[in-house]
Amino acid sequence: MKKITTLTFLLFNVLIYAQDVDFSSLSIPENLKEDANSVVRFENLAIEIKSQREMIISFQTAITIYNDLGDDHANLTIYYDKRRTINNVKATVYDSKGAVVKKIKKSDFKDYSAFDGISLFNDNRLIHYNHIPISYPYTIYFEYEINTSNTAFIPDWILNGSYSQSVKSAKFSLKYPSDIVLFKAEENFKDFEITKEEKPGFLSYEIKDFAALKREPHTPALYDFLPTVKFGLSKFNLEGVDGEALNWKEFGKWYYDNLIQNTLELPEDTKQKIKRLTANASDPVEKAKIVYEYVQSKVRYISVQVGIGGFKPMLAGDVDRLGYGDCKALTNYTAALLKEVGVASYHTLIFGGQKRSLNKTIASPQGNHMILYVPIANQDIWLECTSQKDPFAEIGSFTDDRDALVLSPDGGVIKHTKIYKTEENLQTTKGNFTIDSEGNITEDVYIESTGTQYDDNLLSNDGKNQKELDIIFKKYLSNINNIKFSKIEVFNNKDAFKFEEKLAFTATNYGVLNGTQLLIPINAFNNGSEAPARIRDRKLPFEISMNFLDMDEVKIVLPTQLKIEYLPEKVELNTKFGTYSIELIKIEDHTYLYTRKLKIVSGNYQKEDYELYRNFRKEIAKHDNSKIILIK
Amino acid sequence: MKKILIALVLTLMANEIIAQDYKYGKVSKEELLEKFYPLDSAANAAILYNNRKTYLEYQQNEGFMVITEIHERIKIYNKEGFDWATKKIDYYNSSNAREKIINLKATTYTFDGNKIVETDLSKKDVFDQETNKYWSQQKFTMPGLEEGCVLEWTYKIISPFKRIDDLQFQYEIPIKKIEAKMEIPEYFVYNKRSKGYFTVTSKEEKKSSTISLSERIRQGGDSNQHVVTSTVNVTKVDYFTQVEYYNATNVPAMIEEAYVSNLDNYKTAIQYEYSELHWPHEPVKYFSTTWENVVKTIYDNYDFSTEIYKSNHFSDDLNLVLAASPSDLQKITGILDLVKSKIKWNGYYGLSKFNGTRKAYKEGVGNVADINLNLVSMLNKAGFKASPVILSTRSNGVPIFPTIDGFNYVIAAVEIENNLILLDATEEYSAPNILPLRALNWQGRIVRENESSAWVNLTPAKSSDTNSSMSITFNDAGAIEGIRRTQYSNLNALNYRDNYAKMKDDDVILKVEEENGNIEISDFKIVNKSEIYKPIIEMFKFTSEDLLDKIGDKIYFKPLFFDAMTKNPFKLEKRDYPIDFGAPFIMDNKVGIKIPAGYVVESVPENLAIGLSENYGDYRFSIKIEAGIINVYSMLQINTAIFPSANYDEIKEFYMMVVNKNLEQIVLKKG
Repeated sequence: MKKITTLTFLLFNVLIYAQDVDFSSLSIPENLKEDANSVVRFENLAIEIKSQREMIISFQTAITIYNDLGDDHANLTIYYDKRRTINNVKATVYDSKGAVVKKIKKSDFKDYSAFDGISLFNDNRLIHYNHIPISYPYTIYFEYEINTSNTAFIPDWILNGSYSQSVKSAKFSLKYPSDIVLFKAEENFKDFEITKEEKPGFLSYEIKDFAALKREPHTPALYDFLPTVKFGLSKFNLEGVDGEALNWKEFGKWYYDNLIQNTLELPEDTKQKIKRLTANASDPVEKAKIVYEYVQSKVRYISVQVGIGGFKPMLAGDVDRLGYGDCKALTNYTAALLKEVGVASYHTLIFGGQKRSLNKTIASPQGNHMILYVPIANQDIWLECTSQKDPFAEIGSFTDDRDALVLSPDGGVIKHTKIYKTEENLQTTKGNFTIDSEGNITEDVYIESTGTQYDDNLLSNDGKNQKELDIIFKKYLSNINNIKFSKIEVFNNKDAFKFEEKLAFTATNYGVLNGTQLLIPINAFNNGSEAPARIRDRKLPFEISMNFLDMDEVKIVLPTQLKIEYLPEKVELNTKFGTYSIELIKIEDHTYLYTRKLKIVSGNYQKEDYELYRNFRKEIAKHDNSKIILIK
Repeated sequence: MKKILIALVLTLMANEIIAQDYKYGKVSKEELLEKFYPLDSAANAAILYNNRKTYLEYQQNEGFMVITEIHERIKIYNKEGFDWATKKIDYYNSSNAREKIINLKATTYTFDGNKIVETDLSKKDVFDQETNKYWSQQKFTMPGLEEGCVLEWTYKIISPFKRIDDLQFQYEIPIKKIEAKMEIPEYFVYNKRSKGYFTVTSKEEKKSSTISLSERIRQGGDSNQHVVTSTVNVTKVDYFTQVEYYNATNVPAMIEEAYVSNLDNYKTAIQYEYSELHWPHEPVKYFSTTWENVVKTIYDNYDFSTEIYKSNHFSDDLNLVLAASPSDLQKITGILDLVKSKIKWNGYYGLSKFNGTRKAYKEGVGNVADINLNLVSMLNKAGFKASPVILSTRSNGVPIFPTIDGFNYVIAAVEIENNLILLDATEEYSAPNILPLRALNWQGRIVRENESSAWVNLTPAKSSDTNSSMSITFNDAGAIEGIRRTQYSNLNALNYRDNYAKMKDDDVILKVEEENGNIEISDFKIVNKSEIYKPIIEMFKFTSEDLLDKIGDKIYFKPLFFDAMTKNPFKLEKRDYPIDFGAPFIMDNKVGIKIPAGYVVESVPENLAIGLSENYGDYRFSIKIEAGIINVYSMLQINTAIFPSANYDEIKEFYMMVVNKNLEQIVLKKG
């Protein structure tokens, strides 16, 4: 009898365990369902470094999906390439009660080339399966194993990469051999309860019951506030090349020696040509500028990613012959030319796009972009070699203000790229507008921008033809109806470091005739400002990512037949997010100078500040719509 | 005599100077020095010359192969045109059969101030990439580009399939000269259909051709002849080949405009569809040509008859629905709902089955044909006269001639008391005669069981209406408070449900606030969210400080507040393509504004009633003041789904007047 009791006990234990991995959707706690389109029931990422040249990544997850907004998580995609093979792929779909709906085998997956939309060619591939749900909620279980020699790229452990998804439990573990040192960088751990286990050759993390986050306007990137761990190894292999590095200095040296050093050779006539072009320049800055502009005129950006070519620059000689290359190839080509004219420059690994620094604390291949660092006489010059339009030494918001790895024969060094001060990101608008008693206007306006605002206009407006410019500026001035342009000119004034735009146009019915009154909105040229959405009970911090200064001066000539009934008053707003002021100054009868100044300071703010910021922007939007009232 | 000779030589020389040489490699200095395209200075690049030859050639052991030769010369005027230096050639490449690309040659020409410099594309800079199981792509980008350079390439595609790619005569950049030659043996009949606005000149002729079929025959080795000889026996087969020549010069670029359903519909091209095979000594095989053939082919090839008329896998479910539905209309909607709930759309179009009706029903997933053929099948079983309607989606263009390839979608139709009810069960929020936008593409073809067929108009007859009423009061703090009720019907209701029905109310509120000038909403409610056969109604209370200006002792505001149309959607000076509204519509707004205590009305905008010609639409705006309430009425009505581009100026002007009226303000004054 006693024996039987034990058996029951055992069975009971097994049942509890089964319950634990039960795929029914019924057992999910309420707090994880709130704001969630899906819930990660469990996720297990286990990595084993077998040796310097072998890594096995095994992954299992089960996700319950509540509605079609969560269906993306049932889109199963796994990447592979020549050095990365997929094994043991399997997926199962369960209904809300936990009964099996469909079993998915590897042969059900479709095989595709991994088009990145940019590259002319890349040899990565993927397999993909898209599940079409019949009813909600459902749960998808998914597992696979990857075998690769690329131990340089241990996947980051990231808690939950998406909004509107809760996590019941997520585990990570890493095993590594004793002859290799593991480096790790834990980010944003402090507000989270993470169980960690660490012993020689082993490391693991676990997090439980993480409730879904809702997307809110102006939220910083998820990796800025959710826990992440990045890894690196003292001995690694990158696309077939062995490496050893204990710190950035050694890593940088390895990268330079193995991937850069022997790529810099140029054909003889190109060497002669660049020497000729720079012969009359004595100053190294001037030489660098000539080289940069030569590169801009000769090459264009085309990305080709094949094997080690994803990391090693294309030979400078090939770039010279073909006239194209990716960021590494063009950076390398520029460096080779600079070397030829006696100017030292250094390849630099960086994250391009949204502001993101390399993690300084661990030496590992990080970043997704390459630029060139040219130190000349205490001056840090950064060159974006993929742009055919940027002026010399302007990198814009794509790579500004972040930590990057500078590579040299002596090793690697972390440097911070150029920081644009608010006043540098300046847009000046100067214009005249004359309005008649019917509300029709004749205007001319000159807009000049520098710093990151230069960059923005350059990307959107430079090189466009008149038809395109007509559309672009009608959109920019969308507060004015019935525009007919008589002039649209844009000019990339590289030498003066500014982008210039000149417009002239007429528009009927700009002023609104209201019986005997004529209402004239005073802000004609810079009126796109809108307040961000109201968020009830905001949960996340917010950030203002761009700092800038807009200065407008517009002369307004009013029709003398009408009497002035009302003129908007002077306004000055001062907040920690920036300042705003407008003023109408009388020049003579019926002629006024309208000035507007808007300064926005970038930064990270607490969620409590959001409403204050919103009010600031609301006030601005309101005053931007101020009107002069004339009467017959 | 001498004079004539000299004159002749001179003329010849003059011709020589003017005539551009289009032989490969004969790029001229003039072409390289040209700074902009003479007829369209906005062009970043132009096709100087495009030549295509497609012919069917008999190859021993292979049969007839379709061979296409391309020769193209492109001018790049500036850096914005560099994209045209990258060429991608798709080709079929499966394990069973493949197309081959051969003889690829490409050159960049630049001018260095003295001479023309040629840079050839090297083989190792051509990339071959598998796109998926069936298709691959050869890609290359030209070396040594400079602004002003000329590119040239030529290649040949050999295909074992009888499919002929569209002859395209218009691109996003202008073309100086384009030529094509098609050679099709008498055995093969292709349906041709041309589209687009640009005229291409053509010429046809017949020529005789011969195939030599060779066969090795062994003789000897018997008792009389001890020597074995082998001879080649050649059989000659004579046949006619139809030869077509096309050419066009100065073809303008196609430019994208707003409110165009599919730019490809307007691109000049000729499409070829393989329709008949007349093999000697064999009966003619038909693939399409007449609508009867198309219908027959579709019924046979796509198993329409089996899928539709021989199914009963759904009988139990169907009987339950029928038992619960007393009227015909209830039965139809009941069946529509049943199919929607049973099978989810996997996003694939097509006339051919993906899973088949039975499997799709069982597994709950299918493509358009699986789903809507189930629908037709059930409706038939329920005693209705139901048939499939085949159509071409907006993204697929418009079919005009009898063709199978032109159709890629199928819906269901019920013929009842001289009415036609169209149904599409792939779209969760569709209703009888309310189809999703993707299916609303001009006309479809109904194909009946007896294999008769007819055109069916797909453009919605029902207008998609928005009816909104709002009542506004001013509070003591100087803000406005209001209640708004908006009813969306037909296509508008479908779209509203598509956007919002699955979202939580809190999230919908956020969107509605953002779209309506940052009003602050309370008491939000959506009625008939899932009652999809009824209009959807959105109701909320709101407050706002931003919708009025208080200046001195006066209050200014737009009579329609955030419902005012303040921007003219038509901004272009000129328009080439029709405006596609999707469906006719009415936008009806009523606003009641309570005049606040202590104020009187100083002025209100005047009434307005304007119309478009040919009854295309009208706009009415009026204000009445009664018992302390200002009643505003505004109604914009467009009676056509497609508005002709010829009347563009008129509709632009019409919208300008609507916008001007919507911008005028009501002025209240303390008094």
